[in-house]
Amino acid sequence: MNVMRQTDDTTATAEIKIAAKGVQVYYGDNHAIKDVDVDIADRTVTAFIGPSGCGKSTFLRCLNRMNDTIDICRVEGKITLDGEDIYDKRVDPVQLRAKVGMVFQKPNPFPKSIYDNVAYGPRIHGLARSKAELDEIVEKSLRRAALWGEVKDRLNAPGTGLSGGQQQRLCIARAVATSPEVLLMDEPCSALDPIATAQVEELIDELRSRFAVVIVTHSMQQAARVSRKTAFFHLGNLVEFGETGQIFTNPRDPRTESYITGRIG
Amino acid sequence: MTNAAVHSTPRSGSLFSQDQRTRRRNTAERRFRIYGQAAIGIAMMALVILLASVLGNGLSAFRQTFINMPVTLDADVLDKKGNRDADDLKKVTTIGYSKLLLNSLTQLIEDQGLAIEGLAASDIKDMISDDAAAQVRNRVLANPELIGQTVSLKVLANGRIDGYLKGRVSMESAERDSNVSVNQLRLTDEMMERGLIGKSFNWSFITAADASELRPEAAGLGVAILGSAYMMIVVLVLALPIGVAASIYLEEFAPKNRWTDLIEVNISNLAAVPSIVFGILGLAIFINFAGLPQSAPIVGGLVLTLMTLPTIIISTRAAIKAVPPSIRDAALGIGASKMQTVFHHVLPLAAPGILTGTIIGLAQALGETAPLLLIGMVAFVRDFPAAPPEGLFDPAAALPVQVYNWTQRADPAFVERASGAIIVLLIFLLAMNAVAILLRRKFERRW
Repeated sequence: MNVMRQTDDTTATAEIKIAAKGVQVYYGDNHAIKDVDVDIADRTVTAFIGPSGCGKSTFLRCLNRMNDTIDICRVEGKITLDGEDIYDKRVDPVQLRAKVGMVFQKPNPFPKSIYDNVAYGPRIHGLARSKAELDEIVEKSLRRAALWGEVKDRLNAPGTGLSGGQQQRLCIARAVATSPEVLLMDEPCSALDPIATAQVEELIDELRSRFAVVIVTHSMQQAARVSRKTAFFHLGNLVEFGETGQIFTNPRDPRTESYITGRIG
Repeated sequence: MTNAAVHSTPRSGSLFSQDQRTRRRNTAERRFRIYGQAAIGIAMMALVILLASVLGNGLSAFRQTFINMPVTLDADVLDKKGNRDADDLKKVTTIGYSKLLLNSLTQLIEDQGLAIEGLAASDIKDMISDDAAAQVRNRVLANPELIGQTVSLKVLANGRIDGYLKGRVSMESAERDSNVSVNQLRLTDEMMERGLIGKSFNWSFITAADASELRPEAAGLGVAILGSAYMMIVVLVLALPIGVAASIYLEEFAPKNRWTDLIEVNISNLAAVPSIVFGILGLAIFINFAGLPQSAPIVGGLVLTLMTLPTIIISTRAAIKAVPPSIRDAALGIGASKMQTVFHHVLPLAAPGILTGTIIGLAQALGETAPLLLIGMVAFVRDFPAAPPEGLFDPAAALPVQVYNWTQRADPAFVERASGAIIVLLIFLLAMNAVAILLRRKFERRW
């Protein structure tokens, strides 16, 4: 916690990108998320922390309706993106997910070439009119994911042949390629070694300038390093949400304090 | 003196001697290995015995005895009007041709000075297969210029003579056999010495149609192979798309509720339904209700499709299930629709499994006999079906049914024919499995 980043941004009062109000999630009879209110600011990194099974990943998956793929999952409450309710009947989750990209816990590149991995999103969304344009998007996305230098000579090599850290950055490049507005990251570094983790964290810091980034993490150090806002979840409740510095140095809730000092979790 | 390291003494027995527990565990493992090896040994032995018996009985079906003789195609007999008109030529039946063959063979025996005591004209006539006249007739009708010439032909010998060359018929058995005489066998010996009679590769076993009980030497698999091929086409065209579509829907799109559970259970049940039940179903629905023709490959194909569908659905669902969910998440996460996810990512990854399942299903269908018996494919079919699609409605036989058919016949010459047909069937199955392996390799190489 000694590496706490100063909140040097002066655009402190950023616009709210995603607003969640009274969100309840049920898995069958299991009440997994209880009445959560969170505002996620644009061009900021927001971290969700909490012990295993506290519902932070579940809540993250509500933000781009990935929970729709689970039959028994039911979401109540209101989540808005730019003021529009994403659970409205008129919303097609496919369109929503193009705006709200996601990076998963385990690197999951497609068993295709590196190029095709990144190009897949732009292709299905029709973002490129020509091959040259597509090449450009692929290069830009790989550069943004700090992977271009390592793979530019072997774009046709299989994406699954990369190392774990490279694969995760490839997944980030793939998510970035569709030019989303929000990037959700579900424990993106849990399968990576410290060096790869550092690279991904550096990357998140850069991505912050363009997207609203939401990151779920097990590591409090990581939350402290990369995020400006932190939400602490416990047993499906949002216990505390505030500036990262304040959460780690001066938590208001005794449960938060117990967690960050290692007594629960 | 240097400080020699002092070793501690083992507290619980030496590592070099096995304690009783370890010994028991090791014997148990050894025993298990022996069981396994014995099981594999028995399986290999069964396979070797099967192959040896099939090959031993059946390989001789691929070689057939022919008489090499000059045949005088007498214009006075074959074309009395001398105008080479096709319709007039057709008026000469096989009886006319068999007389020609008899004359030619008698001539040959005289020319060669083959004097067998007591050899009757009927003995000479019976040296030649009844089917030979028809073969020569077809040849002349196809090529009328041959009329009036003396052509050197390989004339199909009688099945008993063929049996003598293959060791099935002996002098002793001939004495008791009304279909062959000792004199004929003596003549055969003489002719063999002069190279007038001998065995050569029997193409007509693969290309010709079935023949009657009385002329096993002419029986072939042509109609059966065509019928089986037509049925496989029908099965592939119907079962693959229906099966894959059903599996994708059930696996990826269908809600999980009581109805889909019921469907799932019943698909598994269908896979276990005895095939003859499908035959009765086909008879009731396709022939009696829908009015499709009997013995037709289309009906056989439909019945086999019903039988193959559960196999394909089960293996396809397993293949789709084996695709890691992380791939689906990845595709959905960048905004692919459900259908794009399935067709761009899940299906290509499941393709090797789907193909393997399909080909195993097809191979099963190819070897299926029981349902085909019920829809009339056991009939004696002499005419080749036309080219598809019309040919799908023509009567045809099928390979396994042909095997069944031939094993029912009295003449021992059909034993080798049945085994030969099994060899052809096995070759088809091996070829299909080879295709399955190749396709799987090809698709799996996409890392």
